[in-house]
This record gives sequence, structure tokens and C-alpha cells, in this order.
Amino acid sequence: MIAVLALLAGVVLGVWLDPSVPAALQPYLPIAVVAALDAVFGGVRAKLDRIFDDKQFVVSFISNVLVAALIVYLGDQLGVGGQLSTGVVVVLGVRIFGNVAAIRRHLFRA
Amino acid sequence: MSAGRDDRERPTRVYAPDFLTELFRNPLEPGYAAAAARRRVDPPSRWHSRSARTVTVVVLVVLGFLLAVAYRQTLEDEPGRSQARSGLVTQVKERERETDELSARADELREEVGRQRDAALSGSAAARLRDLEAGTGMGRVRGDGVVVRLADAPGDADAVTGAGAGPPRVLYSDLQGVANALWSAGAEAVSINGQRLTATSTIRSAGEAILVDFRPVTGPYEVSAIGPGSMKRRFEQSRNAALMREVAEKTGLSFGVREADDLTLPAAPEPQLRYAEPPGGPSASPSGDRSASPGSTGSGTSPSPSGGGR
Repeated sequence: MIAVLALLAGVVLGVWLDPSVPAALQPYLPIAVVAALDAVFGGVRAKLDRIFDDKQFVVSFISNVLVAALIVYLGDQLGVGGQLSTGVVVVLGVRIFGNVAAIRRHLFRA
Repeated sequence: MSAGRDDRERPTRVYAPDFLTELFRNPLEPGYAAAAARRRVDPPSRWHSRSARTVTVVVLVVLGFLLAVAYRQTLEDEPGRSQARSGLVTQVKERERETDELSARADELREEVGRQRDAALSGSAAARLRDLEAGTGMGRVRGDGVVVRLADAPGDADAVTGAGAGPPRVLYSDLQGVANALWSAGAEAVSINGQRLTATSTIRSAGEAILVDFRPVTGPYEVSAIGPGSMKRRFEQSRNAALMREVAEKTGLSFGVREADDLTLPAAPEPQLRYAEPPGGPSASPSGDRSASPGSTGSGTSPSPSGGGR
């Protein structure tokens, strides 16, 4: 419950403050969002598995975002930014799907 | 997935060859299970767990913030892209208008030059020049002739892809065929949508567009020709006209030939003069230097009146 409220508070904050993203960071934003989603679904699944751990969640969130951004940055420097972004999205997408499937099994037993 | 299994595996954990299979099967961070096992053995202090909870809440706020920012950013990027596109379109339009203005000015000046020349030359020489100009497309001509109208088949665009399927559109080769048939039917001057054809004109396709002398023309296409009275009959008897009638019947293109009185065909833009140079001359650039304007390459090499790939 608190988690959902915190999430909503963040959204409201984002809409209200309306910050402008520096141009240098713009390519990393979508990847960061996907990485963050991966951490969130992992956390939700862990919660349902009753093994949620705050520290684990925080660390996985931050490291996911940083590693994804780092990979995209490296790819940009090597000239394969687009392909590496695709790779990151595919891997994270697979994980998100797996976690959502587990969540679904928990919620609907199906 | 369960904590027990993970613990058992941990000491000898190596990445299996089928890393992807593992990825698909068990996307959960193993850290959660490990942390749960650790908690069972050694429950964390109250203060510790509370501060961890606070950090989680902060992270979630940050996450929501990130989502909102990313969403707004995506929304903001969209008009930027379309703005850039429409900016380019405006530029293209502007340049085209400039080109039109300049070529109109060039036409004016050319007419002026012609008048001056007529005044300077004796009657017969001037008349001969005018004839030559009319024949080569360098001068505006007026007279009776025929207008051949071609138009794409209506409403045949694919509803799903939005792209018209190939056949029901007028192809550049149709225009080439019509123009060539008109020449062979005795036309003295031909223009397509107001673009006068000369001996070095090209009719080509670039993607879906048809270019006449590298300027795009759009349907409906009107090929006007000035020529003798027998031209219409001879054109209609030609193979190209028969082919177009057949195509029109089969695909729904519209194809029509009508006689027209008092047509005025504009002059073609000033041609690029090309000079042959002996190889190894003092200027060490054997070709291309003089005709450096882009797009003019190759247009002068086609001997057929309406050029192109025939």
C-alpha cells in the first residue's frame, strides 16, 4: 500500500516539477525505465513469494538502472548503441515476462 | 525458485551452457532468496528494517518520478520530430518557389535576348533561329495539337498499408511511351504538366514520384503536344496508345486523348552546354568538371527524345 502511494507520489512529483532532462541523458531514459520496471516486477514477485527484502530491492533497482545505462553508453562509444539497447531491452523484457508470469500464477493460480 | 534449491546450488554455481534457458526459467533475483534465508537465520534489528523500508519508499518515489519524466519526454520529443519534418518540407517548398522565380526570370531575360537578336539579325536568319528554337524546345511555342491525359486509378490504395499497389498507378514508363509515341506521330513540341521536353529530357522514377528533367510531376499527368492535324489519328493508331488503352481498361487508370486548339508550351530551361575536350589537354579534368551540377549527369547521353531507360 505504502509502495503504491510512494509510486503515485513520484508520478505526481514528476508531473508537477516538470524537469527538463539534459540532452546528454536523454538516450538513457527509456532504457533506465525498462531496467527500473524489471526491478519493480522482481520486487513484486518477491513480495508475493514472501521473500521481499528492502535492501535487495534498492540495490537491484539502482544497479539495474546504472548497468543498463552503462551498457548503452558503452554501445554508443563503440558505435553499436542501437543494437546493444535492443539487447538490453530483450534481456530485461524476458525477465519482466518471467516475473509477470510468476506474479500471475500467484494471483490467479493459472 | 524456492530458497532451499537456491542455497543448494549456490556453492557450485556456474553458468550453464544454456544461459538463456536459465534466464527464461528463473528470472527472479537469487538475492531475494538468499536474503530471506539470511533473515531466517539472523533476523535484522527493528531500526535496521525500518530504515531499509524508508529507502525502499524513497526508491519508489524516484521510480514514479522517472516514469513521469520519461513519459513527458517521449511526448515532448514527438512534436520535435514532426516540427523538424515540416520545417524541411517548408524549406523544400521555399527552394522550389525560388527556383520557379529564377527560371521565370531566366525566361524573361531569354525572351529579351531573343527580341534584341531579332532586331539585330536580318529577317531570314532570325526566322531560321526561331524555327530552330521551337524545334529544340528553347523557345515558347503556340499552336494546335493534342492533350493526352493520364491519371492514377482512383481509390485503389491498400487500406492496410496505405500504399497503392503497383499496377494501378501511372508509371514513368507510361509517360515515356506516350511522349515517344507523340514524337513519332509527328509532334513538334511536347510538354508534360507544363515541363517542355527537349532532346536531353529525362523521364524517370524516384521511389513513387515521377521526375521530368529532375523536377517532380504529380498526377493527373497531361502530355501536351503541338503538331500537324494528323497527329491525333496517328497517335491513336500507335502501339503505345493501344497498350495504354488496354492498361486503362484492365486496371482502371484513366487515359484520354483530345484535340486542343491554341496550346502554349513553355520553353524548356536553359540547357547545360557540354563540351568535348581532348584527353590530356592542358586542363587535366577530362569530364564532369563542366557539368558539375548534381543530377545532370547522364541526362545528356540518352539519344531518345524523352530519354530515360528505354
